[in-house]
Amino acid sequence: MKKLLAVFLTLAMLLSIMPAVAESAIDTSEHVKIVYLVTGDKPTNRTDEVLAKINELLTEKINAELEFRWIEWTDWQTQYNLALATQSGDIDLIGTATDWLDAWPNSQKGAFMPLSEDMLKTYAPMTWESVSEAHWNLCKYNGEIYLIPEDNYAQWTNHGFMYRGDWAKEAGLENGVHSWEDLGKYFAWVKENKPDVVPWDANGNGSSYSPQMAGGWQTSHTGNIAIEGFPVAIFYGESKENPYTLSRYYLEGDELVNFAKEMKAWADAGYWRADVLNYTGDVVAEMEEGKTGAHQHHTQTWTTERTTMERKQPGSDLGFFWFGEEAGNLISLNITHGAMAIAAQSKNPERALMVYDLMRNDPEIYHLMQYGFEGDMYTVDENGLFSRPDGFEDSTDGVSFNFWWGRNDNLEYKNAQLDWDAITKLYDVYNQVKIDYPYGQYIYDNSMVGPMMDSLSNVYNTYMPRIVFGMNDDPEALVAEFRQALQDAGIEMVMAEIQSQMDAVYAK
Amino acid sequence: MTEKIQTGHVMHSSHIRKDKSQIVINIITYILVTIFCIMCIMPFWMIVASSFATEDSVRRSGFTLWPTEVSTYSYELLFRSPDQMIGAYIVTICLTLAGTLVGLFIIAMTGYALQRKDFPLRNGIMFYIYFTSLFSAGLVPFYLLIVQYLNLRDSYFAILLPLLMSPWLIVLMKNFVKAIPHEITESGKIDGAGDFRIFYSLILPNLKPALATIGLFLALSYWNEWYYSSLFLTTKVEYRPLQYHLYNVINKVASLKNSVAGSNVVITDLPGETLKMATAVVATGPIILLYPFVQKYFVAGLTVGAVKG
Amino acid sequence: MMREPAICENKDRNRFQTRQGMTHRIERKGVSGLQNTAQQKVVNYRKPSVGRTLVQNRTLIFMCLPAILFFFVFSYLPMPGAYIAFTNFQYNKGIFASPFVGLKNFQFLFSSGQLGLLLKNTVLYNLAFIILGNILQLAFAIMLNEVASKGYKKTAQSIMFLPYFISDVLVSLLVYNLINYDFGFISHLVRNLGGEMPKVYQNAGAWPFIIVLVHLWKSTGYGTVVYFAAITGMDSSMMEAAQIDGANAWQRIRYITLPTLKPTVIILFLFAIGGILKGNFGLFYNLVGNNSMLFKTTDIIETYVYRSMMNSFNFSQSSAVGLFQSVVGFFIVLGANAFVKHLDPDYALF
Repeated sequence: MKKLLAVFLTLAMLLSIMPAVAESAIDTSEHVKIVYLVTGDKPTNRTDEVLAKINELLTEKINAELEFRWIEWTDWQTQYNLALATQSGDIDLIGTATDWLDAWPNSQKGAFMPLSEDMLKTYAPMTWESVSEAHWNLCKYNGEIYLIPEDNYAQWTNHGFMYRGDWAKEAGLENGVHSWEDLGKYFAWVKENKPDVVPWDANGNGSSYSPQMAGGWQTSHTGNIAIEGFPVAIFYGESKENPYTLSRYYLEGDELVNFAKEMKAWADAGYWRADVLNYTGDVVAEMEEGKTGAHQHHTQTWTTERTTMERKQPGSDLGFFWFGEEAGNLISLNITHGAMAIAAQSKNPERALMVYDLMRNDPEIYHLMQYGFEGDMYTVDENGLFSRPDGFEDSTDGVSFNFWWGRNDNLEYKNAQLDWDAITKLYDVYNQVKIDYPYGQYIYDNSMVGPMMDSLSNVYNTYMPRIVFGMNDDPEALVAEFRQALQDAGIEMVMAEIQSQMDAVYAK
Repeated sequence: MTEKIQTGHVMHSSHIRKDKSQIVINIITYILVTIFCIMCIMPFWMIVASSFATEDSVRRSGFTLWPTEVSTYSYELLFRSPDQMIGAYIVTICLTLAGTLVGLFIIAMTGYALQRKDFPLRNGIMFYIYFTSLFSAGLVPFYLLIVQYLNLRDSYFAILLPLLMSPWLIVLMKNFVKAIPHEITESGKIDGAGDFRIFYSLILPNLKPALATIGLFLALSYWNEWYYSSLFLTTKVEYRPLQYHLYNVINKVASLKNSVAGSNVVITDLPGETLKMATAVVATGPIILLYPFVQKYFVAGLTVGAVKG
Repeated sequence: MMREPAICENKDRNRFQTRQGMTHRIERKGVSGLQNTAQQKVVNYRKPSVGRTLVQNRTLIFMCLPAILFFFVFSYLPMPGAYIAFTNFQYNKGIFASPFVGLKNFQFLFSSGQLGLLLKNTVLYNLAFIILGNILQLAFAIMLNEVASKGYKKTAQSIMFLPYFISDVLVSLLVYNLINYDFGFISHLVRNLGGEMPKVYQNAGAWPFIIVLVHLWKSTGYGTVVYFAAITGMDSSMMEAAQIDGANAWQRIRYITLPTLKPTVIILFLFAIGGILKGNFGLFYNLVGNNSMLFKTTDIIETYVYRSMMNSFNFSQSSAVGLFQSVVGFFIVLGANAFVKHLDPDYALF
């Protein structure tokens, strides 16, 4: 009996050691520095302090430490692409995004390392588990995974107009602005009743308004949905029901002409300044001073701006009219709007993945990274909302990791200062009408029609600002000219190419 | 060297009897130049004035010659971390001094050699140098050279070295040296001096205006430089050159306002127009004083008569 | 300046001679010396070997060495990398292993249909900048040189330099504040005087003038310095002689000052012409922005390229454009230099 017990005990001991042995199959004996490439200016706050603490924890857990490689905002596009193009093992983790950091073109150019299932399972198990298979499929190019998506974070970056609820009420819009028509009424009222105020003092210099405004009218008045990933914003899918057929909105039809006409009417009525295309003023600051009545940007900005406006213009009740509202036409954010990639030449991809896994899933590290030292830099109340201590200034007391590539709603604290009632109300509306981004699996290949796409880009950037801001004498003629220019630049060929690429992916 | 070369002065026209044409020219000059000077100084004055105005007053009444409401907020913002600013100044000044001195010497030397008609290789070397001003390989190869082959990332040498000279400056210098009579070189040779000795002892002292001009241009290129700083100096470098530092201050918000990234970042301290003005004033600051300083070197060169005699 | 007879070029350079010997040799260059060497030329002159040339001129070569080294490292070493313009640059393969695509990267420029307009604008603006700029700089330099008051000279020169320091961003802001229709400074002025302010930002025809004016304003002070230096370095004895001979101011300028400045003008012109296809992106982009109503008269190669590639970052393509501009500029300069050399080799660039 005793003998049996001994054998049994020995076996049990052996068995209990086994998993441990298997676990420490990952060799972390070498201390490794992981370089994290991220866009942003070098922080002047307490980031270094927090980083030191995080590195303590990282060293403890996986014998690694994190180092920043900042791509500063001055000339960031060139710097970022240059860093990717000339990498030689000097960067490991790369923050990227399909919409503004060219994640797919960079994948195609070989900037990132393909991540095998095994790699992810072994070195980033928590992340691997939390991202569904359907979502992993949207991160593949040529069958290989290149991006780790930020897919568990509620963020809405759909565009629209912020407007003052108090003025809207006075203008007779009891429920606020919920359509382009309402917006026109709102502007007309502001122009009439607020003589010192430019209804929308847009800083038209720079072209970012063109795709938002044009696309905004388009999604509000048709069922078209925007396809990401093109250098020119003229490629839309037909509708929710028929997303994989390209829309011919920019080539034919009345709606674009209607848009041009309406914008001309607005320009003539003086809703923005005459020389709007060269104006470089600060619309947000003006709005906060009560010098203008609207700002065109997206939901996320509105969530913070609403609070600021209440403080600076009490009672302003900043509302948000989202593009597509009339037609209930809304797509949720693409899961790769923010994503983490591993540098193709990285020397420590395994450890990099492990660091990312902890950054995204380890509560202690995550909270340090996002909010700083608890008690010292923030406190969390019983509802899971965080507040900053009095006199807290983000630029000197905060922490900036710019970690927009793996935020995690499971660990996020909501900011107590924001108006969660209003925000939740809007998000509820969104969640009711939204559909998932239908084009996640399609990656545009530029090789066949590159030069034509450049011509289209030039045509678009030449005509659209004038259409959007009504800088013309005859909107109908201008649209016709625009359409002819598109034809001359080869749009039919480009559309045919894109359609065939999409068919290859989606036509079943 | 036994002979000393006399330096004469350009005779002031007032020494000789003033004739009508001289007066006419003077009047025309005074009128035209003064008008142009007003055109030059007014905007600059407006910039300085606006830098001391409040953001609101600028937004309301635009740029004026005198600030309607005075505030030093922009300057406070800029100098919030004074060690950054001071560090930037010191770095820039050092780079400018070192680069200008070394570069100027090399340029002068090269310019002298290339204008010597008895130097058979001069056209070939001139072409070799000039060709580089036409063709450049582009950003990526140059970046790879500095960062990977020369390993100069995060080093101030990445700024100092590439700016030392340029084909234009060498051509300009060659042109100035040509104006010095060849007799000087000849007489030096007669005395048995080598080419370098001739250059150093005979030519250089007579090159004052040229050295001042080229030195000024070189100094300005160092002072204004931000591009190489943005490429090669990462945030690991504690003190970055002045222009780049200031660009960062302004661009931070400018970029964020327009890009998707702005959705993620909390923007505080929105710099407005007045900050841009203050930045311009701070950036220009000391270098304006350089030109008057350099002007006193614009003295006339030698007179040929002295040599021939 | 005396020109040495070419035959004597190398023969005089024997430094191993004693002082006496050297002096002796030069003295011989009287009448008989030349004759001698002329005869010798027929008999035994042959071009020295490469090695000989290098050795004889070694000091001068050493003096050029730092510059030669500098350009070798910073310009010639990276030059093969221009190959990137002919590839589809793959980051993980490097420049030379990336797939070769021939002239594909140049296509977007040529197939746009805009190239004619872009070239016209770029070249015309550059010509205006060069020609008008130089005339203005020359005029100011000469005029200021004539003026007696030193104080005025110095102050004026310094003030003229100021616009150079104002960045293109600020310049465009200043211009906007002056002439924008609603709130511009000039608009207010015009309206106060009862006039009607034109919509300058919607009128393409006004902009060539505006841009040239702004450029001249910004760069004249800087460019004048070169001519100042050239004038002050001028031989003053000729001036004195002319004045004593009774020449008036105009004559002095025309017959002495201008000819002395001629080499400088030509060199600057030749140099500038190599960059005739390269536009000043900062100036144009900041002044015009994306106001397409002005593109017809203000679009240059750089702004077009920027607009086309704004959302599709591509190193190969930008390199291709640069190469195109360089190659064309190169041939233009070769032609111009050959032409100048034909007229007077002294004035040529190389």
